[in-house]
Amino acid sequence: MSFLFPSVQRGPAVAGLLIALFLFLFLAVPVGQVIFVAFQDASTGEATIINFVDFFRNSLFRESFFNSFYVASMSVVIASIISMPLAYFTTRFNFGGTALIQTLGIIPLIMPPFVGAVAMQLLFGSNGSVNLILDDWFGFTIPFMEGLNGVIFVESIHYFPFILINLSAALSNIDRSMEESAQNLGSNGMRLFRRIVFPLAMPGYVAGAALVFIKVFDDLGTPLLLNVNNMLAPQAYLRVTSIGISDPMGYVIAVILVAFSLLSLWVSMRALKGKDYATVQKGGGGLMKRDLRRWEKVGCYAVVILILVLVLSPHFGLLLLSFGTIWSYAVLPDAFTIAHYVTVFSTATQYITNTLLYAGLAALFDVILGTAIAYVVWRTDLVGRKWLDYGATAALAVPGVVLGIGYLRTFHNINVPLIDEPLATWWVIIVIAMTIRRLPYALRSCVAAIQQISVMLEEAAENLGATKTRTVWRIVIPLMSGGILAGFVTSFATAAVELSATIMLVARETDAPLAYGIYEFMQSAAGRGPGAALGVIAVLFVGVGTYISHVIIERSNKAREPKSIVAEET
Amino acid sequence: MIDNAHDSAGVVIEDLNLSFGDTHVLKGVDLVIKQGEFFAFLGPSGSGKSTLLRAIAGFGPTPTGRILIQGKDIADLPPWKRDVGMVFQSYALWPHMTVRKNVAFGLEERKISKHEIDERVDKALDMVGLLDLAERRPSQLSGGQQQRIALARTIVIEPKVLLLDEPLSNLDANLRIQMRRDIRELQQKLQLTTIFVTHDQEEANTTSDRMAVLDQGVIQQVGAPIDLYDNPANLFVAKFLGTANIIKGAVITEGSALVFRTDRGMDIPLNQGYTNGRSIVFRPQNVDVCATGTGASEAHAKLNGKVDHMEFLGSIIRYGVDVNGDVVLVDHAHKLGEAVFSVGDSVDLLVDRDSILVLAA
Amino acid sequence: MKKFMTLGAAAVIAMSVASGTAFAADGTLTVVTSFPKDLTSVFKSAFEKKNPGLTIEVLNKKTSAGIKYLQETSANNTSDLFWASAPDAFEVLKGDSLLAKYTPMAKGIPDKVGAFPINDPDGYYMGFAASGYGIMWNTRYTAAKKLPVPKNWADLKDPVYHGHVGMSAPSRSGTTHLTVETVIQGMGWDAGWAEWKEIAGNFKTVTERSFGVPDGVNSGQFGYGIVIDFFGLSSVGSGFPVDFVYPEVTTLVPANIGIVKGAPNQAAAAEFIEFLLSPEGQELLLNPKIRRLPVNPNTYANAPAGFPNPFKDKSIGAAVKFDLDLSKNRYNVVNSLFDVMITYRMKDLTAATKAIQDADAAIKGKSNPAAAKLIAEARALVAKMPVSEATAGAKEFNAIFKKKRKKATDVIEGRQAEVEQEWDTQVKANYAKAKELAEQAKNML
Repeated sequence: MSFLFPSVQRGPAVAGLLIALFLFLFLAVPVGQVIFVAFQDASTGEATIINFVDFFRNSLFRESFFNSFYVASMSVVIASIISMPLAYFTTRFNFGGTALIQTLGIIPLIMPPFVGAVAMQLLFGSNGSVNLILDDWFGFTIPFMEGLNGVIFVESIHYFPFILINLSAALSNIDRSMEESAQNLGSNGMRLFRRIVFPLAMPGYVAGAALVFIKVFDDLGTPLLLNVNNMLAPQAYLRVTSIGISDPMGYVIAVILVAFSLLSLWVSMRALKGKDYATVQKGGGGLMKRDLRRWEKVGCYAVVILILVLVLSPHFGLLLLSFGTIWSYAVLPDAFTIAHYVTVFSTATQYITNTLLYAGLAALFDVILGTAIAYVVWRTDLVGRKWLDYGATAALAVPGVVLGIGYLRTFHNINVPLIDEPLATWWVIIVIAMTIRRLPYALRSCVAAIQQISVMLEEAAENLGATKTRTVWRIVIPLMSGGILAGFVTSFATAAVELSATIMLVARETDAPLAYGIYEFMQSAAGRGPGAALGVIAVLFVGVGTYISHVIIERSNKAREPKSIVAEET
Repeated sequence: MIDNAHDSAGVVIEDLNLSFGDTHVLKGVDLVIKQGEFFAFLGPSGSGKSTLLRAIAGFGPTPTGRILIQGKDIADLPPWKRDVGMVFQSYALWPHMTVRKNVAFGLEERKISKHEIDERVDKALDMVGLLDLAERRPSQLSGGQQQRIALARTIVIEPKVLLLDEPLSNLDANLRIQMRRDIRELQQKLQLTTIFVTHDQEEANTTSDRMAVLDQGVIQQVGAPIDLYDNPANLFVAKFLGTANIIKGAVITEGSALVFRTDRGMDIPLNQGYTNGRSIVFRPQNVDVCATGTGASEAHAKLNGKVDHMEFLGSIIRYGVDVNGDVVLVDHAHKLGEAVFSVGDSVDLLVDRDSILVLAA
Repeated sequence: MKKFMTLGAAAVIAMSVASGTAFAADGTLTVVTSFPKDLTSVFKSAFEKKNPGLTIEVLNKKTSAGIKYLQETSANNTSDLFWASAPDAFEVLKGDSLLAKYTPMAKGIPDKVGAFPINDPDGYYMGFAASGYGIMWNTRYTAAKKLPVPKNWADLKDPVYHGHVGMSAPSRSGTTHLTVETVIQGMGWDAGWAEWKEIAGNFKTVTERSFGVPDGVNSGQFGYGIVIDFFGLSSVGSGFPVDFVYPEVTTLVPANIGIVKGAPNQAAAAEFIEFLLSPEGQELLLNPKIRRLPVNPNTYANAPAGFPNPFKDKSIGAAVKFDLDLSKNRYNVVNSLFDVMITYRMKDLTAATKAIQDADAAIKGKSNPAAAKLIAEARALVAKMPVSEATAGAKEFNAIFKKKRKKATDVIEGRQAEVEQEWDTQVKANYAKAKELAEQAKNML
């Protein structure tokens, strides 16, 4: 038993209030503005729910609702199928390319989904490379990319890392004695996995799966690019941008998206409630790793490679596109060139530097906020502390478009002092939008990290004379460092390719980040090559950063693993 | 309300009450622990002993009542200002720091010069005999070594009180005996007021000067181990501190003689002085077993029974003898060549009358 | 780099001062445009070269998003120019009084291209290039699938094209809207819509972005696209195996530019317009990645062989007299109808169309009046409009679709969602019934 709520703490209270204020200003108010419209009678300006009645009377909207639900659920299923073997193999066996696999598993996240979709169309579309080959050799084609299938396909390949990362972290935190005692009691193989390992890794899995569900449910770019309109997010976007402010349906859908996502977040939180899974007690732990027998190794590699090929196909397609001259109704581009890269490096470097700056700042703010919130929620007894967590996590449920519109509406009449520019067009607003949008990722990572720290480690420090603050700096943060770093990387990588909110907020090209640049390049016949080149640079760029940070995490973990058991007492 | 005895005491606890929500975990705890004393909190799990220890260190829900250390009320101080050193059951060594950094931590928090820190850390590590492991990480140490480092980390700050929360429970048997001696020795050397939480009465007996037996958040009895063993205040203490024969019945006066009549209708003569009580308690080693018909002195109460079972424990043989339906345990010192009774043998039991305690419940 | 350096300065205030002054000093011209980078970068670099010290900030937004952006930011405007294709978009901005009047000084530009006036008669925006809609196709795709080359919109109704055609939605692309409206005006309300629905029955997809169409044709996702000429021409110019043709019923419309009301840098904005209309600026339109039709007839002298010249070839865009007012009045209704009947009911529409086409194929050469009657009924059901031309053009009805309350006291009857739901119910039932009838007809044969 651990009882971790000492009396009043002023520091956390102040931090908690500041965070609450930040969330209120940059999340609650702008979203509130949008929600307000949904409940306003467009003709009279009075408060009404008639717009919602209209929504549910409309068969198109009902169908969109069902489609969104179906696509999100199926994406979770497919993403789980992809993630589970990868996470299990790499945490369970002494597997050669663990770091490589986990890095590759993160790479999809650093590619804007709409770029991925372009490449996937070229490879898997009805006249893409794969189907051209199939048609040529066997006389049939597979509709990978048709309608909802295409969305599910692209989304699961894009978002499965959320499950992979969380599941891997949870698996590596399971004390091996849990597994050994199960083996001892006669359980092994799949049974052991299903009855012991999976339940213990459940919090991580559910957290990841909930993220995937919400991301897919709210995602706009992918269905739009695949021209699937009968889903909620595209309907909201199409209504808001083409019909405009006068039509409340877009806002109604936005509210429904937000509400539905909040609901699924709540469900996943409920599911995890009261389950103390901090099974690692003494700094060591993790599943027992064993060497693979030869045929097992072959099997594992076959599965892993199959998945990797699938996962890397958007990148591969993008790479081909970036080096190809003309790629049209053919298995491969007609010829190869480096001209697109020359174009990018002579005209578009500011996208890269802007992205570094924005995503770096946003990720930094995110881990600071995430660590502070995790501490306040899990280590203090401040009244309403849970609401900080809910509030920050609620950002997940806010589609980027909604946030972008909300920002424009809220901050356009607020001038930043001294530079005399509206806050809504100052580049810092992009950083804030990214911070808000990616905060949930950093937060989950920080919360997972703090939950893994035994409270006794902190009590020991306090007992030896360290104040709460000192304990945070010397014990909590260093022990959370792996989780914090992981949170930074996830936030950075996803912020670097954020498009839906930034597209609304970029006020001038010199302020535009990478994803916006790619989007812009991709709007012309001659621009696909340079756009793809920019995409490849983005992928490389964040991929290398991710790999480096992964090496750091591995190293710090290794330092804590028992290297050798020292001989017994004299 | 502070009397002079309290001023000189190491730890004084007055009317301490503590609850988790609706559950009352500590109920009216009063306790005086002398300066330099090695004191044990003994009790089964859930008895509140760890909660009491943590309350002294300042962890857990805020209790009502007072906690004085060397005369100073610390109940309102945060943990870091209490100057009580605690060794955690799981040691709570920080995995991200070397052994040296772990031990130096408390001193660094006290803003002591680097030079002095090094000196004192070396001394503390030397004291626990692990100076050569200073640059290792905790995960590279064995359980016993981790235990010693946790101890060194705590004593290096020279706390006013040392709190040990089941410090031996994660060690193997041999190591445990070694460790408890080492801890005791260290405590003697430093003259450190020490509170030791354990559920193991042998551990408490062997190390502590005095101990408190807790059950359900209430202190049952306080005293030196032998006193408690010999004169338990109630059935719980009697049972918890070792094997005891407990027979239910009532005290009755038969003329001038005082007799305990068991519920099964057997009479056991008692010494004078008891008026009432519902049970008698006596320990197996205070009973002798002999062949039927052996003469008995006034000092013994004689009972007749049949051997129900026997266990050979090396230096003693433990017989279970069925006396009129109650099984009485008898520890008989085993000597070479002496006859051994078998199950079913009819035997006489001689209970040392002085050892028979009558308890209320 | 500037941001990184300023970031080094510890205080946020210091940083804001630095970047603030940096933007003000060197004369920045902020242009909100829907044009692709291929077009904007060419003009940007040429203009900056000519006017050292002036920097163009390009703000790329889809036309509709651009309008929205200017509307949302009008209280605190930072944009100088709005630069886009669709004249309708400029009409909207003009209506919201978000544009400033300007009369260009450039000479040699006629009043009309095709049947369309080049400049806004009120002087709020001016045309700098012309474009018209046409059909582009992927030659590899058509060769592989042995498909014929279409000449006119009507050709796309042919069953051979079933599942091979792509188009953008008029609500998503201002120029697509013009094309839809052009055909409707050319053929009449009911016949025009019937035409579109028959073509749409062969659609593979309705893309969200207008560039999605040339993109799909270029990459071979579908064979034929209904696109604006510069997409087709620049795709050809970029080397894709595609080709482009103007059908007879098309209209040439100018691509425009206008100064935003309250522009921070009005002088530079005027300078840019003059540059755009100068012979030098006009010539830039011939760039293979741009390929738009210049509005100055003299520029065509330098055009590559085969480049269409609307001032000489009178067949381009002359067939239809385009009624801009009519288009403007029912703008939102047409968009909404297209989405309800086509975009969002693609699956139902193509299924019905396929059934009709199959029945047609089956009846060919046979005489079965009952079946023929069923097919004709099915066709009529698909074509059936949920709303009449008169209603669609009525002011009160349109108000439902663009009710932006100017005053809190304004009251408008009816809700768009309500109307659309009504349409959708009818349309869905009609398509389903048509499919049933056509299948019934086929079974009789």
